Amino acid sequence: MSTTTIVIPESLNNIHIYVLDLYRRFAGLPGASIVIGYIKASYKDDPLRSVFELALLLFAVKYFLSSKKQANKPTLAKLSEKEVDDLCQEWEPEPLAFPLGELEKWQLADIPVTQGSVGPHACVDARDVLNLASLDFLNFNSNAVIKAAAKQTIMKSGVGACGPPNFYGTQDYHVRAEEDLAEFLGAERAMVYGQDFNTNTSVLPSFVKRGDLCIVDSGVGVSTQNALKMSRCRVQWFNHNDMDHLEEILQELQPGLAEEKPITRRFIVSEGLFVNFGDYPDLHKLVELKEKYRYRLFLDESYSIGVLGKTGRGLPELFGIPRSSIEITTGSMALAFASSGGFCVGESDMIQHQRISSLAFVFSASLPPYCARVTSTALHLITNGDLTSEAESKIVASLNTKSESLSELFSSDRSLQPFVLVKSIPLSPVIHMRLSPKYREMLQLPPVYGGPQSAVAQAWSRGLEAEYFLDETYNLENFLLSKIVALCKSRDVLITRSKRILHHEVVSMVPELLVCVTDGVSVEELAIAFHVVKESILAVTQQVNNHTAFRRLEDEL
Amino acid sequence: MKSEASKIPNAPPDNFTPAERTEREFGRLTSKEHLYVSQHISSEPLPEPIMDEPPYFILICTYLNYLILIIIGHIRDFFGQIFYPADFKALTGQNGLAPWYSGFESFYVRRLKMRLDDCFARPICGAPGRFIKCFERITDKVNVNGSYHYTGDVVECLNLSSYNYLGFAQSSGTCTDAALASVEQYGTSACGPREQIGTTSLHVECERVIAEFVGKPSALVFSMGFGTNANLFTSLVNSKCLVISDELNHASIRFGVRMSGASVKVFPHNDMEALEALLRAQISAGQPKSHRPWKKIIVAVEGLYSMEGNLCNLPKLVELREKYRFFLFVDEAHSIGALGPNGKGICDYFGVSPNKIDLLMGTVTKSFGATGGYVAADTAVIDRLRLDIATNVYGESIAPPVLAQIISSLNIIDGKVNPGEGTERLQRIAFNSRYLRLALKRLGFIVYGADDSPVIPVLLFLPAKMPAFSRMMYEHKIAVVVVGYPATPLTSGRVRLCVSAALTKEDLDRVIEAMSEVGDKLFLKFSSGIAGGAKKKGEAPRWALDDVLANTARDCTISMA
Repeated sequence: MSTTTIVIPESLNNIHIYVLDLYRRFAGLPGASIVIGYIKASYKDDPLRSVFELALLLFAVKYFLSSKKQANKPTLAKLSEKEVDDLCQEWEPEPLAFPLGELEKWQLADIPVTQGSVGPHACVDARDVLNLASLDFLNFNSNAVIKAAAKQTIMKSGVGACGPPNFYGTQDYHVRAEEDLAEFLGAERAMVYGQDFNTNTSVLPSFVKRGDLCIVDSGVGVSTQNALKMSRCRVQWFNHNDMDHLEEILQELQPGLAEEKPITRRFIVSEGLFVNFGDYPDLHKLVELKEKYRYRLFLDESYSIGVLGKTGRGLPELFGIPRSSIEITTGSMALAFASSGGFCVGESDMIQHQRISSLAFVFSASLPPYCARVTSTALHLITNGDLTSEAESKIVASLNTKSESLSELFSSDRSLQPFVLVKSIPLSPVIHMRLSPKYREMLQLPPVYGGPQSAVAQAWSRGLEAEYFLDETYNLENFLLSKIVALCKSRDVLITRSKRILHHEVVSMVPELLVCVTDGVSVEELAIAFHVVKESILAVTQQVNNHTAFRRLEDEL
Repeated sequence: MKSEASKIPNAPPDNFTPAERTEREFGRLTSKEHLYVSQHISSEPLPEPIMDEPPYFILICTYLNYLILIIIGHIRDFFGQIFYPADFKALTGQNGLAPWYSGFESFYVRRLKMRLDDCFARPICGAPGRFIKCFERITDKVNVNGSYHYTGDVVECLNLSSYNYLGFAQSSGTCTDAALASVEQYGTSACGPREQIGTTSLHVECERVIAEFVGKPSALVFSMGFGTNANLFTSLVNSKCLVISDELNHASIRFGVRMSGASVKVFPHNDMEALEALLRAQISAGQPKSHRPWKKIIVAVEGLYSMEGNLCNLPKLVELREKYRFFLFVDEAHSIGALGPNGKGICDYFGVSPNKIDLLMGTVTKSFGATGGYVAADTAVIDRLRLDIATNVYGESIAPPVLAQIISSLNIIDGKVNPGEGTERLQRIAFNSRYLRLALKRLGFIVYGADDSPVIPVLLFLPAKMPAFSRMMYEHKIAVVVVGYPATPLTSGRVRLCVSAALTKEDLDRVIEAMSEVGDKLFLKFSSGIAGGAKKKGEAPRWALDDVLANTARDCTISMA
């Protein structure tokens, strides 16, 4: 230092003093002498160089900070408070919910209102009808044993569970229902959920995360579609029940997946009895493929448990496959069991993980205890009191006979064939009938509605409410079906139709008439109902037999 | 499949007479003085949450506590994988399949939560009213899969854990009779989705009663509260719309908004200035990239936040709504029934007209002893939702006994049935909430939340204090809920007391005595006094137990300072 002389201009003198002062203060700090010593040694007593490098350092810091700011800056000019006020004044929001148009209002009136119990014979809109619209397949809603069990439970536990399952919302009835479900289905464990529709959306995302892979049947229902959406996984669709297409996809993906480390979770997703078609997949083939390509199988058995198999244990029983071959099974207790809620069964680790990580389980109140009890009671009724029984269940067999007989009537009737097509398999208690392709062609209807790249899908992604809420042709075809339903109802038979919402679904669809068989309806009544439905279909389709007549329906709306 | 020994046993019979049972589900009012009207006093300032900070010493201990747990957890993982590979089956890939979940993801659950697993999901029997009966259960080792053996005994605990604000968790009385009658008349199920078949006259009636109760023209009712929010937003908003959400909003709201694909912005909890700034910025800038104006903006808040006990600042929100013309969504899951002079929730409490709120959502689980959720709004909105909401179209319909419970309990609150009973329930919950809250504050606990909130979170901070607190209270035969991460921030583990109208003042005295003892043992009395309860202003409140019990009942009806 002593050999170098720095001439300081008068004006900078103050700064010099200030810097020296700072230096003295810094030197006073503990450990400062080491730092100063290091700097002095490394720069060989060259203060100018130190200053220069410090300046460079400061510049670099400023550069990095400012460049970050630049990226965050909106491209718009900065607005003054006044301008923001004006813009806020100017902003005109769209209505909260897109109002129902004149063309849609008929749908509100099309919801049947039952006075009293939704039994096989019900009073709907002040009319006594034979009820072929109910999903209470085993007629448990009118069952005295079920009612007695429900009442007994309410007299012991009240109605609500008053808490989430993890916080004192689990009652003995819930635990027992879980034990019974697991025992009945031959699974390690089970857990119950508060609502069937939210079971899949919560179960699947607890395991399938971003980057994981699901190969999905394109016939799955909305709850599974929502589950895939929420899990943000990669989704590959295969054609409905097309095992060759599935294998093709699996094969195609195989080389890429073999190299992945760590391996991603991979699922094949299908349904036990498709809510949208009333048919089931070839489970032998599904299990074989998932074993071969190392996937897990997710099966939604909402419509098949209590219906398929000789004891009502669902699709695996029908195929003679153990439940353990299906990694995740979900189902509904609101259908065949005449209770409420959903459930999931499978191996212990999988179930246990859901108890802490499944949103609809953790963040929701538990099922009412009487619902859990009703489920247990329903299982005992199905199996005649022995949950592990292999003996044929009378009640399930009776339902199956009825479903098959009605399905047979519809699919074998020659006069109906030009107009409707039965999509469901004979065992399905819900008979799905759609207008036949030929007849639809006559009315100039599109082959399908919705689905990827459709007008609705595009309108949804562009936020055009007017277009995704109302597809006029879809609305009109539904109206045509509702005329058949109304005609049946005027002759005291209540059937229903699929009421699917285009913008909720990512798969394509065709509207259907649904005739639901329950065990409470006798074979003779089914035969009468068949004639009523048949005549109604013929009457309406003969009246509307060309494009002009179809379009004229719009005037009735 | 489980062995017989680990199955849940039948509940042992109790020998109570019907009258005794009723009393154990809903305690009789012991003095007319123990009543209070829940209402915001307009001269008082609007609620600003006061979050008392713990001493640094506590914070450092909390971090150390986690550090030790994490280190021990890793050591156990390391040796466990070597010596007990069977316990780690779920974490390792099995013949070509990926593990069910990653070890990292489940570390917290396996190594921290499992240590206090016994404090959660204790199975109970009977109605969760004033007392609940918990099954005794034991486990042989620190269990990895949550399996227990039941001894067959039950312990009857005072219930500060259930959402039973108005005490409708009962197994006899008007509501139970209505539910039983509905089973006889309608059965146990509605047998299908609302749109197809599952609409009975009882559904129509219930929706009318709910709409009338909350003061909106129309309402929809669903079988699950979570499911209501989870499916609501898809029918209202799309990717060109914005949802502005309070950071502490319930998981179901976040779930629903994510499902809808709408843009989401979050504002700090209850910070109205931040909300206004965000609104101004968003309305003036519009959508990102395209800068087109947002098609609609929904501001989503909760009436009463279930983990903090805070109320939303409704008067200010309504003012902002007028100014910026967004749609206001209020989730009244915890506030409906529990707040307001007529039990009509947050609007009633603040004296704000329900017309000023676009979407009133709530659950019927917490105050009315039922299960499910509702949405109330203008008829045009409800008509669209009725046809479009996914649960109505594809999901199960709410069951008749639940509807009967809702209708009858709402009629009681409104005074249409059993006049006087509803008012008593409302005034008891209001008194009980204030009494317990002020007593705990005076003892020196850090208590969060608004004065009239029936949710009383008492801060524990250290994760190790959570199981200790829960078990010690259980020994006093008081059932409480301890909550930690992920429902709360990592460092603020707490116990959440849910007050009920079914409790008497004497029951609360028992709670206060037990809490005081446990609080001393666990070193929980470290509040600074900024949230109230101090004897002199600026002093840390550390009242003696006797003083608290002698004075609080009177004081809490006057002032909470």
